[in-house]
Amino acid sequence: MACCSTQIEELRDKMRSYQQWETGKKITWCGGCGNYSIQNAMKRALTLENLGRRDVVICYDVGCSGNGSDKIEAYTIHGLHGRVLPLAAGAAIGNRDIKVIATAGDGATFSEGVNHLVHAVRNDYPVVFIFHNNENYGLTTGQPSALTKKGVKMNSAPDGVAFDALNAADFVLSLKPSFVARSYSGDVDHMTDIFRAGIKHKGFSFIEVFQACPTYNRETPDDWYAERVRYVEELKDYDETDIWQARKLVEDLEKDIYLGIVYRNPKKQNFWEASGL
Amino acid sequence: MPNRVKIKIAGESGAGLLSAGKITIRALRNKGLYVVADREYPSLIKGGHSCFRINAGRGKVHGLCSGFDVLMTLDKTSVVAYFDEINDNGIWVMGYERLEGLEEYIKKAKERGIQIFHLPARRISTEQGGNFLMQNMVILGMLWKALGFEYKFIENEVREEFADKPKLLEIDLRCLAAGYEGSFDGVPFAKRDGVNFGEMTDEISGERMILDGNDALVHGAVAAKCGAYFAYPMSPSSSILTYMAERAKETGIIVKQCEDEITVANMALGAMFMGMRSLLATSGGGYDLMTETVSLAGMIETPLVAIIAQRPGPATGLPTWTGQGDFNLAVYSAHGEFSRVVLAVSNAEDCYLMVQHALNLAEEFQIPVILLTEKQIAESLWTIDGFGEDPEIRRGLVKGEELAGLSNSDRYKITENGLSKRWAPGSSDAYYFANGDEHGEDGSLTEEADLAGRMYEKRLKKMAIIEAALPEPEVFGGEGGADISFVGWGSSKNVMLDVIEECREIGVKVNYLHFGYVFPLKKAVLKKFLDENKNVHVIEGNYTGQFANFVEGEMKFEFRGRLLKWNGRSFFVEEVLDYVNENKM
Repeated sequence: MACCSTQIEELRDKMRSYQQWETGKKITWCGGCGNYSIQNAMKRALTLENLGRRDVVICYDVGCSGNGSDKIEAYTIHGLHGRVLPLAAGAAIGNRDIKVIATAGDGATFSEGVNHLVHAVRNDYPVVFIFHNNENYGLTTGQPSALTKKGVKMNSAPDGVAFDALNAADFVLSLKPSFVARSYSGDVDHMTDIFRAGIKHKGFSFIEVFQACPTYNRETPDDWYAERVRYVEELKDYDETDIWQARKLVEDLEKDIYLGIVYRNPKKQNFWEASGL
Repeated sequence: MPNRVKIKIAGESGAGLLSAGKITIRALRNKGLYVVADREYPSLIKGGHSCFRINAGRGKVHGLCSGFDVLMTLDKTSVVAYFDEINDNGIWVMGYERLEGLEEYIKKAKERGIQIFHLPARRISTEQGGNFLMQNMVILGMLWKALGFEYKFIENEVREEFADKPKLLEIDLRCLAAGYEGSFDGVPFAKRDGVNFGEMTDEISGERMILDGNDALVHGAVAAKCGAYFAYPMSPSSSILTYMAERAKETGIIVKQCEDEITVANMALGAMFMGMRSLLATSGGGYDLMTETVSLAGMIETPLVAIIAQRPGPATGLPTWTGQGDFNLAVYSAHGEFSRVVLAVSNAEDCYLMVQHALNLAEEFQIPVILLTEKQIAESLWTIDGFGEDPEIRRGLVKGEELAGLSNSDRYKITENGLSKRWAPGSSDAYYFANGDEHGEDGSLTEEADLAGRMYEKRLKKMAIIEAALPEPEVFGGEGGADISFVGWGSSKNVMLDVIEECREIGVKVNYLHFGYVFPLKKAVLKKFLDENKNVHVIEGNYTGQFANFVEGEMKFEFRGRLLKWNGRSFFVEEVLDYVNENKM
């Protein structure tokens, strides 16, 4: 999956439709921010899935990721901090024919609005959730989040973070989800493939993107990940429908960090199916 | 009040009083009477006290009286709690077996001319082959006899109630008959001197609907073509969720119980953003959690309708009692400045219509609309002749060919009156950004002073056309020259309509100006009312006089007095009459 030449070939044929998403606006992210590549991969994925502007609504949380809300030429909504998942779920209910994508950072998802994540997974709302994990609160100038590694010195934690970090994928897997995948901001091609798979999924797609934050997260830049990432495809006999294999696989966030579709439950009924609607 | 009977049914919570009360209400309706009934109960499921306060009359009954002509008690606790509120010469229907410990009440009853109808209801129910819960049927028969109405009316309703349980029905009917046939020495209420129900029907007439305010709200939501309902349970709004869920299949409304109120507000807003009409309901505490989302709706000019079913606070307060303490919450909640409308319902008919108006206003003007109801309205049962005519549905969405001609910047175009075009995502090639950050005309973020200032102004400028579109308040009891006048909102209207009638009969002129649209304030009729009446008071169910303060600030004048109440009970006719006597010119 890490290989990509066909992806570029395919995009070449769809250049005009790719261009519709591009903006001429000045971008406000820091140089080297992972958001550039994530937004880029999102545009690619929309194009390759043959979605047009009338087919998709992108919902943004508040934070650095949220500042992308007007940097893609599409219908977007830029809501409240921590609340993008219920907003997106409401949008998905409001019009079943439109693909709803939600994005939010680690502060919003694992502190302000973690309850929403639990229930979005449980309800299996038809929403693609691109979870931006840069391990800190960037827009408020580098405070630690619940996913910042223990011991790291951050703004508001001058002596280092005192508590253990949460493991996002492990947490979500404990909720019996229908789709869990991981990628990282140093690999646009891989992100694109994962986003495409998420878009194709009928329920709630949880996609964690390990994201570079060159300004505040010096611990885990793209290079750090590049040395450590492994791909699920490389594993022999990996069964992506086996939740216990998945939980074992996502445990390691230090040495061998596995990317790809780590878990899929094709039997889980999505929101509409379970509601009988 | 010679044309009204006031009944209280009291007993232990969970002892089946709810069904006894409902059967009584339906039987009264079938006798051709108008009924208003409030259920009073504590915030627990079993144990504690609960009661039905029922007022019924030949003419339309709007409000409730504090005293009652007939008290029906099943246990000693109820006697102790409510005996003193029986009117002199009233009737005390007693189903409690043992009279030990009640001697003092029996003595007092005799002194006050109260007639006692006593039967050992529990013993009778077991003698008839029933269980102790069927004592309700015995005492129901006793109550009906004490009221002085024909047996067939109550019998018919008991048959209806237990139609699907034929074996039990037989025993229930025996219990009912045993109660009705019990020996009562007194004069039944309807046959008393001075009681005048006019010509009464002998035929069972079930034409009028019986429903509570929350039920009516759901009917209104269906009429308004609401597509989705989101809620988190909270008294006294919870039964809206129940009714919505029960009717979801038939109505096609998507009903979602969410994980919290923040979710409720965001899901409702998300659905509205996509062009689907949605509703949510909660009480004050739940609404507190929603306020940030209300602010977002104001900013992105996306409709949102929030129903707040008021109960007295702060904090958990009195969860199962009534009040009008959330006017300020509805009007001033949520950070920043933005346009909004606040409506307040007064009764079941109002619930049905106002929820439709709320959706129209929210969509047409792209604003949050808050609809205030009260426990007393939400859970009171009313007989109604029918619903008023449905207002036309106004979506405020660009439709048809015009969609093709839209440009991105039409969405938040800075127009003369502040209103710009709205269309649902996907319905046009002209995409836009619904941006919670300050933005330009297509929704692109801006921090530029001039544009930010003009966009801020655009959102607030809308208030002028919104205010112009709202109806004026309604005058009851004549426009001017009253001995005493009242201004109010919400359920106050019910008690005022009864007070106006009562006072007319004794030659005191009372009039009342009712605000259904409480914010923004409509001033023309109000100004005239204040000019033409010299003794104007306010009536509202809170301590600080929230609406009074608002009106005084807007109109630069002072009410002559304020009739306020905040103990969880609604205004009763008697206490307003007392206030009239003390304060009339």
